[in-house]
Amino acid sequence: MILGENILLALQSLRANPLRSFLTLVGIAVGIGAVLYVVVLGQITEKRIKQRLESLGSNVLLIRPGYSRMRGVRTGQSVVNLKWSDAREIASTSEVITETVPTYTAPGVAEYKDQSWNTRITGTVPSYEWVNNDHPIEGHFFTEEETNQRARVCVLGATVHEKLFGNVSPIGEPLTIKSKRYTVVGLLGAKGESWWNPDDQIFIPLTTAQERLFGVDHLSTILAQMRSAQDHDEALFDIETILRRNHRLRADADNDFRVRRQDLYLATVQETTKEIANFVILIALVSLMVGGIGIANVMLVSVTERIREIGVRRAIGAKKIHVLLQFLIEAMVLGLLGGLLGVAAGLVFIRVMTGEVLILPWDWIGYSFVICAGIGVAAGLYPALRAANRNVIEALRYE
Amino acid sequence: MLIDMQHVEKVYRLGKIDVPALCGVDLQIDANEYVAIMGPSGSGKSTLMNIVGCLDSPTAGRYLLDGEEVSRLSDNRLSEIRSRKIGFVFQTFNLMPRATALRNVELPLIYAGVPAGRRRQLAAEALAQVGLSDRIKHKPSELSGGQRQRVAIARALVTEPALILADEPTGNLDSTTGQEIMEILAAVHRAGNTVILVTHEEQLAAQTGRTIRLRDGRIENQDDTAPSAAPQQAVSPP
Repeated sequence: MILGENILLALQSLRANPLRSFLTLVGIAVGIGAVLYVVVLGQITEKRIKQRLESLGSNVLLIRPGYSRMRGVRTGQSVVNLKWSDAREIASTSEVITETVPTYTAPGVAEYKDQSWNTRITGTVPSYEWVNNDHPIEGHFFTEEETNQRARVCVLGATVHEKLFGNVSPIGEPLTIKSKRYTVVGLLGAKGESWWNPDDQIFIPLTTAQERLFGVDHLSTILAQMRSAQDHDEALFDIETILRRNHRLRADADNDFRVRRQDLYLATVQETTKEIANFVILIALVSLMVGGIGIANVMLVSVTERIREIGVRRAIGAKKIHVLLQFLIEAMVLGLLGGLLGVAAGLVFIRVMTGEVLILPWDWIGYSFVICAGIGVAAGLYPALRAANRNVIEALRYE
Repeated sequence: MLIDMQHVEKVYRLGKIDVPALCGVDLQIDANEYVAIMGPSGSGKSTLMNIVGCLDSPTAGRYLLDGEEVSRLSDNRLSEIRSRKIGFVFQTFNLMPRATALRNVELPLIYAGVPAGRRRQLAAEALAQVGLSDRIKHKPSELSGGQRQRVAIARALVTEPALILADEPTGNLDSTTGQEIMEILAAVHRAGNTVILVTHEEQLAAQTGRTIRLRDGRIENQDDTAPSAAPQQAVSPP
């Protein structure tokens, strides 16, 4: 009975000062919108990294060239000493490494009809498909034979397909890279963007990439698949031994390559992302607290403006608890309306910024409203207590 | 007997000094009486009104309202007594400016816990009683001063209290409108209610059944009729 009346009363009194109410709402809305945005962004990133982790498995090592050094200072440039022969030797010599996938990646422009797209061209071998667990959803990955023939065939990442072909099937279509025609033989499924977009890529045979397209003989990376994750130390030792020997490194020289376990690396990325997100949430919560102070301030003003009203209400039979509830509920309504505005703004912002087909984060929307109601109550408590504990006679005489 | 006050005292503490406002008041008012209370400012008139209206408790003495001892009650219990037994009419009307006449009259019923449907019906009836049936959807700003005070009287009547306490109800009105309000109060009295009128004006007090005069915290005299020979103490309204 009293509750419904009080909500009505609260809305009435908020409508009486529209600008003041709105500004207070915005204080809360900004805070809760920011919290929601960060939380959802964190969830999206985490989901993508997790997918990547699942497709990669825990038994893959990534070998990359080391940094070149100038008088002991590391320069930005990578060295060019990682070779296909290294990859072959690791696969054939080490007992714990079952497969290696050499890749060479460089930027390139792909053209189809009047469309062109700036992307990355990755030369690799057919086993890429299996080691990365990355299978074409249409067509097939290029074969050993096509690799041996240095064939001009390519497999498209989902983003490249979308940019050049739209919804049309690309299989069998001719694609132009550096004025040469390539035939599309396969289309990979979308893996989703995380800290980089693995879908924005064109795969061609490594032979074609090194000898016909780019004219290089080094590699960007070698993926090494271990028998199992427990073979990690032994695999690392084998790789180090073979590469140091092949690269003729002196005993006191540093490695000119880097090796990392992909899953551990991704886990670290995930961890870091989470930590950053938590920190930003903390900042957003502080801004939410500031919004709460705004509510407290407005409620104090509102109580002072209505001392006479409080006196009249008390005289005609309102108990202290009634007055207390009236102002508490008014503060809570302020908080909740701010929450509503903030959640709406946050969701719109997420939609615009990430372009995600939005899965509504119901749990966090729920928390948002609980938090906002809580802030409203916390902020309104002191003003409401002041209102309820006013001396009735003095309140009635207040001018 | 509706009101029975025995040796009621009220002392205010201002810093270290005790200021007596009421020094032993004995006051009896029967049900369905129409009584005026008069007195110059500082006579303890307001203090007596606050105690009669259960807004304040006496420092000493006994106060029985409708057979119930109300002199030593908690704030909560006093609120309940006000809700059930007292209807206030103020000099400045004290209506909720954003609420309609009907909502204003409903207000005491909300605190008395009356369900919404019944509330609306009772409020409409009370407004009809003061002749405002055609104004129930109007806000106070859309009403004249006399109409506002009539809404306030309806608000005081709606809970069917044992006592109507009207504190200078005509103080903010011109004399014609003031007389209208006095006639409504007389009608309320005739309908069986007990009415206490606080006023400065002899001419208004003369319309009641009995006048109680206060001076220096004591009851000076109580007449069945207002004496015409009494010195003119009335302060002209602002």
